[in-house]
Amino acid sequence: MNNRKKRRVLVVDDEITVCKSIRQAILSDEYEVDMALSGEEALKKDAEKSYDLIITDLMMPGISGLDLLRSLREARPDCNVIMITGYPTIKTAVESVKMGAFDYLPKPFTPADLRGLVARAFKKTEGEDRLKGIVSDAPIPAGYYYMLGHTWLKIEENNRGVVGVVPYFLKTVGIITQLELPKVNEAVTQGNVCGKISDADGFVHRIWSPASGRVVEVNSRLIADYSLLRRDPFTEGFLFRLETDNLEEDLKGLLLAK
Amino acid sequence: MNLHRSVQKFLDLPLRMKFVWSFLVGILFGGLVSLFFGTRLEHRTIFTLAQAKVRHDLASAWVVYNEKLNDIRDIVLLNASRDSIRGALLACDREVLYRTLVRVRRDFNLDILTITDSSGRVVTRTNPTGVVGDDQSSDALVSRALRKETAIATEVVPRSELLKESPEFAERAYLKFIPTPKAAPRPEDHEEDGLMLKAAAPVLDEQGKLLGVLYGGILLNQNYEIVDRVKEIVFKGEKYKGKEIGTVTIFQNDLRISTNVIDAEGNRAIGTRVSREVYNAVLLRGHPWVDRAFVVNHWYITAYEPIKNLAGEIIGMLYVGMLEKPYIDLRNSVMFTFAGIALLCTVLLLIILFFITSSITNPLRRMVLATNRIAQGDLNHQVRVSFRDEVGQLAHSFNQMTENLKRANENLIQWGKTLEKRVEDRTKELREMQDYLVQSEKLRSLGKMAAGVAHEINNPLTSILINTHLMLEKLEKRHEFYENLSLIADETSRCTQIVKGLLEFARQNPPQKVHTRINELIERTAQLLENQASFQNVRIVKDLDPDLPTIKLDRNKIQQVFWNLMLNACEAMPRGGQLTISDSLSADGKSIEVRFADTGVGIPKENVNKLFDPFFTTKSSGTGLGLTVSYGIIQQHDGKIEVWSEVGRGTVFTLSFPLEDKHPESSQKGGTNE
Repeated sequence: MNNRKKRRVLVVDDEITVCKSIRQAILSDEYEVDMALSGEEALKKDAEKSYDLIITDLMMPGISGLDLLRSLREARPDCNVIMITGYPTIKTAVESVKMGAFDYLPKPFTPADLRGLVARAFKKTEGEDRLKGIVSDAPIPAGYYYMLGHTWLKIEENNRGVVGVVPYFLKTVGIITQLELPKVNEAVTQGNVCGKISDADGFVHRIWSPASGRVVEVNSRLIADYSLLRRDPFTEGFLFRLETDNLEEDLKGLLLAK
Repeated sequence: MNLHRSVQKFLDLPLRMKFVWSFLVGILFGGLVSLFFGTRLEHRTIFTLAQAKVRHDLASAWVVYNEKLNDIRDIVLLNASRDSIRGALLACDREVLYRTLVRVRRDFNLDILTITDSSGRVVTRTNPTGVVGDDQSSDALVSRALRKETAIATEVVPRSELLKESPEFAERAYLKFIPTPKAAPRPEDHEEDGLMLKAAAPVLDEQGKLLGVLYGGILLNQNYEIVDRVKEIVFKGEKYKGKEIGTVTIFQNDLRISTNVIDAEGNRAIGTRVSREVYNAVLLRGHPWVDRAFVVNHWYITAYEPIKNLAGEIIGMLYVGMLEKPYIDLRNSVMFTFAGIALLCTVLLLIILFFITSSITNPLRRMVLATNRIAQGDLNHQVRVSFRDEVGQLAHSFNQMTENLKRANENLIQWGKTLEKRVEDRTKELREMQDYLVQSEKLRSLGKMAAGVAHEINNPLTSILINTHLMLEKLEKRHEFYENLSLIADETSRCTQIVKGLLEFARQNPPQKVHTRINELIERTAQLLENQASFQNVRIVKDLDPDLPTIKLDRNKIQQVFWNLMLNACEAMPRGGQLTISDSLSADGKSIEVRFADTGVGIPKENVNKLFDPFFTTKSSGTGLGLTVSYGIIQQHDGKIEVWSEVGRGTVFTLSFPLEDKHPESSQKGGTNE
């Protein structure tokens, strides 16, 4: 690991305590973590250092997280951005993924949550090859809605939908050691956790639900065999079936595969 | 003004008295007038008849009178032509004449019978005391006879002449006047002349040469033959209450000289005089008199006619009179009969009037009574209807009015009750609405607050969470603070959950309503519950109405509510029990009711009202938002949620969903299926 250059991470939040906490959580030998207390400062620092990953709060005075994302996407498309968000702005967060953010993380979160996400972000940039062949490269089938890099939603009759994980997400995850799925009748909301994948690296990756609703069926075959997730991500390897309750609104935050 | 007051007083009288007075006045006036005119008419009729009769009677009296006069003439005429008389006179044989004539006089009841020579000198008189040789040629009748004519007449004979015949005649003629109140005053106080019926006839020889005159007469003074005979013939001796009805009188001048009028002492009333009225009319003017007159001491209906002498001078009167009393009595009895009949009719009328007015006033009085009772509020009172006249109709209408009034009153009362009920219902509705608004307001404020707070709280929570975990990572598990830190981490996570719940609640998406079979939703939710291992000792009983109509609901949200309520029920029965889920159509058929009844520990009264308040919880691990969120969802469905609970017995939650969708547009979005 030492041969490798330390990855540069910038944490942006208008609250110093949050900045410090985040920095503490991810600070390690691998990462060099800087802090910025505003969007302006972040842009200034990034101009100096060209960070590999910028973790930014969505809601900030002046240049907001979204503004920051927009200008970074234009100037440096290779820079990963993770949006940290309060619950009220989760819609915006989902929107930000559509705009090209790597992922987002709702506050509050544990260091583990953050680390898992950060690890995934770097795995993506590394273009890890070790999982090649195991993960299907098949594109998302037409008619499927999806959250960029996360989950898909296939709409069925009676406002029902099937939820699964897109292969891209799995690429950023290590060997799956545990899969946590919601219980039947549990309510899930778009952009919030609907499942967790733990990998061999010890990270816990949260899966965001693509839609809001109530779980009506959990894929029991998947619980017995996690490999289905990678082998047949769009049919047999689905996570659960739900009865949506705000589908029309939810679809605005999703992309449609063509 | 007085008249006005009297009229007012009269009008104020009770109806019956008004009738009685009006009738009485009418009857009395009419009765009196008709009685007055009736009696007058009757009087006139009776008296006209009576007068006619008395006139007729007078005529009869004249017949008798003249008959007597003719008798005398016949006697005189017959004897004057007798040869013996003629011879004796020619021979101047006074003896023979006297003997012959005395017999004649006695036979024929004459008072005098005297014969004169051809110069008028008396040859002989037939009374023993009679004077002879005096000259009678100046006498009206004798002088006529001397002219060879026969003459008859009533004549006044002076006392001197009477004395020539006989002092007895002078005595009969002498009458002292008895004072009579109404008589015309006269200077004399007695009468000494006499009134005589006389006839004179010439005595002629065969050659028709006058030899002398024979004359005879009857002295009328105190001679009652004519008057009594008239009375007998005309009145036939009729009496009325012991009194003679008819009376006849011969007057010499105005003096009664022959009469059957009886005075107070029971004697013939000779010597009294006629009244001045009659005196003037008959004696002075020579008119007959027919009228009522007061005769001696009684009222009579009378007729007087003058008696004239040969020269045509009025020398006396013939009178006929009928006692007025029988006519008066007849008149009175008729009058009294009339009056009696009138009185009887009046009484009869009053009796009829009594009944008629009773038939009017009694129902009226009853109606007045009824009005009073109605005024006092007794609307059940009815007036008895006896007849079908106007009063009866009035009573009938009155009853009908009362009936209507009663009905109106009942309606009013009913209306009042309904109004009360309505006010009560409305008040309840308003209170519910108010509660609803308060609850809504609470929810809205909560939403705002949650949105504002969540962001602020999230940052410190993030810091706490991260740092606690960082510390935990660095500590050995057996470190004395490890457990404390774990607790902090867990509780912080719970805070996260609370904030999340809050925000979820604050988000409040509009419901996506689709047609739903509510039984299916309940079954499905219950199925999930039955699979929960932790509630194996809870028995779930479902009593669902299979015929319920479908209803538009947001299935997920409502299922969440059902789930919350079922979960709460199960948690309220830690030692097991029964959860009864039932549904049915509401009583008014406008909504569906779903009930969740448990046999759990129940909720203390003071907590029931706080159940739906945010953050109210009795569970150590609850967020206090489950029922608040449920309430919000039910509200979004325009439904109601009610709680009944008793500590130790259990709790019943009743949800009601209106069948009619109040916001049809909001349900269109999600209604793509079915």
